Amino acid sequence: MSAEALREKIGGNWAERADGWWLRVPADKIREAARTMLADGARFATLVARPDGAGQLRLSWHWDLKGTLLSIETMLAAGSRVPSIVDIYPGADWAEREAREYYAVTFEGRVSTPPLMLREGDAVGILLGPEGRSQ
Amino acid sequence: MSYRIPIGPYHLALEEPYKIEVECEGETVVGASLKVGFNFRGIEWLAQRKNITQAIALMERVCGICSNVHSMTFCMALERIGSIEVPERAQYVRVVTAELERLHSHFLWAGVAAELMGFQTLFMQAFRLREQVMDLLESISGNRVNYSMNRIGGVNRDIEHAGVVRAVVCDAREVVSQTLIPLFTTDRSVAARCRGVGILSRDNAIAYGAVGPVARASGVDSDLRRDNPYLAYNSLDFAVPTQTSGDVLARIVVRALEMLESCRIVEQALDQMPAGPLHVGNIYSVPAGEAVVRTEAPRGEVFYYVESNGSDIPARVKVRTPSFANIPTVATMIKGNDLADVPLIQAAIDPCYSCTDR
Repeated sequence: MSAEALREKIGGNWAERADGWWLRVPADKIREAARTMLADGARFATLVARPDGAGQLRLSWHWDLKGTLLSIETMLAAGSRVPSIVDIYPGADWAEREAREYYAVTFEGRVSTPPLMLREGDAVGILLGPEGRSQ
Repeated sequence: MSYRIPIGPYHLALEEPYKIEVECEGETVVGASLKVGFNFRGIEWLAQRKNITQAIALMERVCGICSNVHSMTFCMALERIGSIEVPERAQYVRVVTAELERLHSHFLWAGVAAELMGFQTLFMQAFRLREQVMDLLESISGNRVNYSMNRIGGVNRDIEHAGVVRAVVCDAREVVSQTLIPLFTTDRSVAARCRGVGILSRDNAIAYGAVGPVARASGVDSDLRRDNPYLAYNSLDFAVPTQTSGDVLARIVVRALEMLESCRIVEQALDQMPAGPLHVGNIYSVPAGEAVVRTEAPRGEVFYYVESNGSDIPARVKVRTPSFANIPTVATMIKGNDLADVPLIQAAIDPCYSCTDR
């Protein structure tokens, strides 16, 4: 399947940028999009988290299909949760664990979210707050 | 009865620490869990506290083997945000440097794999060639590991002696085509150690997000240099080797054939390289904006997300290295294999733990 056909299958208002195609969806649509991506052979590239400057987090999941970058993003209010896609894409495991360490994101549906780079018991959210740490 | 064997974080054959806990039934591996983070340096945290000139040097230290690709991709992201056009000659210089880096990285891997198989002669040959390529990179850049070739809007140094580059590439091609490939593909000892060992299926390669030679050895025909061309790759003729068996031998063959393609790319780039400036002048900040840039490193796709708020300090730098994507596949590759094959299967993904941890 082509990247264009895959975008149409997922639906929504995709925006073309110099780096690929971007779509903003509510958090509860991520799993459905991930299932469609996997069914059509898209490779999961990574998950990027960053603050939007207004107290929310921007999360974007990135896939590659034949060299085209397909990015789906959602906005997350502080303290809210987002569904995990690890059961769909096992390759998302480390990306989700790292997002938890850096921005204290909570992923629903995981059995556990053990530290990846940090040690057991370390505070999560090391890129949050003025000193880069939430607490 | 099953039992667990903790291996690492310090290994006899690896300079970098990481841990794998292998679950076995008899001599057969039935499961594994991986632990990384022993090299965690907080580079993304640091990047948000350095100006972009300092951050270029910082990014070059993400990896001690493919250092150039990190500073290059970081600069390319800033250039995309700032709509900065890189001079054509600088694009070719970046291509030559990137392919020489791929050559020395693949020679390193070939040597490590040969040594793990107990093939000392091949190890010596591979490392002899690697030294030549590293000497060449040192003669171009002045540095042996962190080349400092990249700046925003171009490169810092020119390639002044194309004949020397050609001579090294010619020697590399001869050794790869007449020694490395025949030995790796026809030697019975190599085949016995590698054929049918550590298989990663195409479906698992996609689900786990494997990249580079690991993915291509499992039948995933993907290479950003061809599929989403950047720099001067659009003007260069090269093939993307793939295999379908997904085993250790397939990864060996893919990397060996890639070395020949890198030689072709370097020679073409030297032939086509136009005269002209190397950069567009000093740039200390870019306008507010964000960009994703992906490039094909020796181990596969490097993914950079960079956000600028218009100041000289990056607002966010996200780095996803190829080993970060490839290392988790080891857990599925080693299932059903002999415990004795675990080191070779690990080595066959050409892991880099420092760049994984960042």
